[in-house]
Amino acid sequence: MLANVLSSAIKALEGLIVKVEVDIAGGSPTFTIVGLPEQEVKEAKDRVQAAIRNSGFDFPLRKITVNLVPAEIKKTGTHFDLPIALGILSASGALSNIAQNKLSEMVFIGELGLNGKLHACAGVLPMLISLRKTGVKKAVIPLANKEEGEFADIENFGASSLKEVVDLLEGKVLFHQEYQIPKVEEALDSYELKEDFSEVKGQALAKRALEIAAAGGHNVLLIGAPGTGKSMLAKRFASILPPLTKEEMLEILQIYSVCRLLGKNKKIFQRPFREPHHTISNIALIGGGATPKPGEASLAHNGILFLDEFAEFSRNSLEVLREPLETFKVTIARAKDTLTFPAKFTLIAAMNPCPCGYHGHPVKTCNCTPVQISRYKAKVSGPLLDRIDLTVNLNPVNYKDWQAKSEGETSAQIRARVIKARKIQEERFKNSKTTANAFMTVSEIKKYCPLPAGGGEVLELAMKKLGLSARSLDKILKTARTIADLEGSADIKKEHIIEVMQYRPLDRKGVSDI
Amino acid sequence: MKAEEKLALIKINAFTYLRADWLERLLEIFGSGQEILKQTPQALSEEGKISLETAEYFLKSANELDAEKEIENTAKVGGHIYIKGEEGYPQEFLNIKEPPLVIYVRGELNTTLAPTVAVVGTRKISPYGRRAAIKIAGDLVEAGVIIVSGLARGVDSVVHAEAVKRKRPTWALIGTGIGRCYPADNKELALGIIETGGALISEYPFAAAPLAQHFPRRNRLIAALSRAALIVEGEVKSGALITAKMALEQGLDVFAVPGPIDSPTSGGPNKLIKEGAGICLDARDIIDALPVNIKVNLKTQDLYKEKEEVLDLSPEESKIISAIGDGESTVDELSVKLNMDVPALSTVLFSLEISGYLRCEDGKYSKVKI
Repeated sequence: MLANVLSSAIKALEGLIVKVEVDIAGGSPTFTIVGLPEQEVKEAKDRVQAAIRNSGFDFPLRKITVNLVPAEIKKTGTHFDLPIALGILSASGALSNIAQNKLSEMVFIGELGLNGKLHACAGVLPMLISLRKTGVKKAVIPLANKEEGEFADIENFGASSLKEVVDLLEGKVLFHQEYQIPKVEEALDSYELKEDFSEVKGQALAKRALEIAAAGGHNVLLIGAPGTGKSMLAKRFASILPPLTKEEMLEILQIYSVCRLLGKNKKIFQRPFREPHHTISNIALIGGGATPKPGEASLAHNGILFLDEFAEFSRNSLEVLREPLETFKVTIARAKDTLTFPAKFTLIAAMNPCPCGYHGHPVKTCNCTPVQISRYKAKVSGPLLDRIDLTVNLNPVNYKDWQAKSEGETSAQIRARVIKARKIQEERFKNSKTTANAFMTVSEIKKYCPLPAGGGEVLELAMKKLGLSARSLDKILKTARTIADLEGSADIKKEHIIEVMQYRPLDRKGVSDI
Repeated sequence: MKAEEKLALIKINAFTYLRADWLERLLEIFGSGQEILKQTPQALSEEGKISLETAEYFLKSANELDAEKEIENTAKVGGHIYIKGEEGYPQEFLNIKEPPLVIYVRGELNTTLAPTVAVVGTRKISPYGRRAAIKIAGDLVEAGVIIVSGLARGVDSVVHAEAVKRKRPTWALIGTGIGRCYPADNKELALGIIETGGALISEYPFAAAPLAQHFPRRNRLIAALSRAALIVEGEVKSGALITAKMALEQGLDVFAVPGPIDSPTSGGPNKLIKEGAGICLDARDIIDALPVNIKVNLKTQDLYKEKEEVLDLSPEESKIISAIGDGESTVDELSVKLNMDVPALSTVLFSLEISGYLRCEDGKYSKVKI
């Protein structure tokens, strides 16, 4: 006999409908799965067999063929267990007519244990969202994935075992489940990070730079000795960013769902903060692998990618970040397929001023030679530095500052200004793909960043006397635009351009010909 | 000297691991540069009393260097190559223990009776050292002194730049070939030195890299070309002190700028003073000590006039200058001290930096003028 069960395959963050065909015929007992199954799908055989027996059904000892349609797309993931098991039960006549009819009404996703229980599996949310778009009405998913399933806006049932799914099909259990649907918008708007900017003493310049970065979407480089608060500031950066929108949150949740990083008590209303170690491989940073998975760049989507010890990252792994920094996505090209993961993040890089870390420290002495220091600085990838608009030197906070009674501004205060500046930009770019000042195209810079009176003079002086390079001019204009927006000024003023000079880029040179 | 011999000498000068006096010895043994190049490594090693490995490397680098190309490249940038004994080779080099065999000059170099003073010091210059170097070098240059230094970072760059700024000649004895610049930040400065009538001088091949052994050795040439030496700042163990030692060996008057006793970069000068070096409080101290025949051509009258420089500063600017004091200050410190926010501070700091009162390095501001 033949049975059809609907399920889903996942490609990057997109779900496709997959028809699981099960044929049971006479002959010596075999069990074959065809339709480009990956290793984990092939292993379904043993799990399904045990799960069916341990759920109190008979496993048919005949020739079983499972085909996953469309057969030319690679099938990955463990969630085919449930549809295969149901197909076998249906084809072997273990289900009643009512159940057979219901079987065709919904989509099944779930990994089976040998005892017949359903386990959580990866990618449930993106699959459900895609299925909804293709017109699917109902889905059965593992109970453990119920929480993320709620965000898909599709009728779904969280089942805990194969037996429960069969009971559902037989009408012994109602499809409707009581479940507390999270009030997403409210939760997002009222969400506040525990860490607050007011906890960071001193560092007025760095705080200001981060405020500008948050307001205009700029990337930042923090340079400072150990203990100057680089990580502390970076961790608090999310607290001054505008709250997540529902769409942004869904994008994040889908990525995390594919990586199986969603679970109980995950802080889903908060912008992600990822801090990969500097020994990270290219693939772990950008995504990829045999079955392509999102990397740190995508896990930081709509949030912050913090690269501490920036100079210690291998040059190669930093170069791969150029693509997401420019296009806000990661494309993994394969012979057969091209996969795309979103990766739009603010880059906060941090490094020591020299190999030992204490160059320019007021108390500790630095033992590095000037050559070592310039070599250390030259290690940082140039093309990547070009995408960093703000550079700040941090110095140790002195005791007086640290002791100061007056608390600095709170994150909420700074965030209010950031949101205001973002509103101005929303209005400015309403007819454009650009979302913030940092991402302006050349023609947009021309249109929205006219030089104020005296501004050209400032830039010329800075190039002549401060060694500013011509390639940083666009960066300066974009940053000045954000400073003007923070002030609510329609035009860029001379002072705004002057302030940007405080955040001038790292000087990095070696030997040159003359 | 025959053209072939000149080419041969340029070739044997390519192996910069061998000092000039060793080359001299080889020349004595074998008679000429051409003869040396004809030797096998074994013969060179045995007769020349150098290890076989050295001989091999020596011949390899000599043969790899295209001497005609050297002359062509040097001429292309308007430079000259002088062999020891040739016309144009600075006579001052003949008085030292280890005269260079070949010298590359880019720019103008006339050493006869030149009023030269070596001004050298640490690469890790302090704000105090910078102010002192700029003040003293500026006055020396105005009086007509040619400053000789090494184009390294720190003190060397500061004093060369001061001369270039005043459009006066200055000589740089560099540790690379004259076709390269190290550190690369000094490229503009190096070109400026040539433009303002100064010279880049090196005993190393045109495109020689900044190898570690080059730098201490060029210090002897700095001393050789100078009538007096001034150490502005330097650790107790530093290149600046090597230059001071060379200067003393060559019989020059050595001066040092006194500094705070707890500043590591003043350790060198303070030690020199303790051992009897001249104390330099301003340019007059050095000029007074120059030989009479050299001093006569200097315009020193301005130096001996007491004058008061008037700083043209707004109240806000002077507030910031006095808040920075003699050391360094960050924007954060200033914003706390003066109760100003970052945007307001930026405007004033920028105008002070542009007009040359302050400089900013790694986020720290310090005064430039005394």
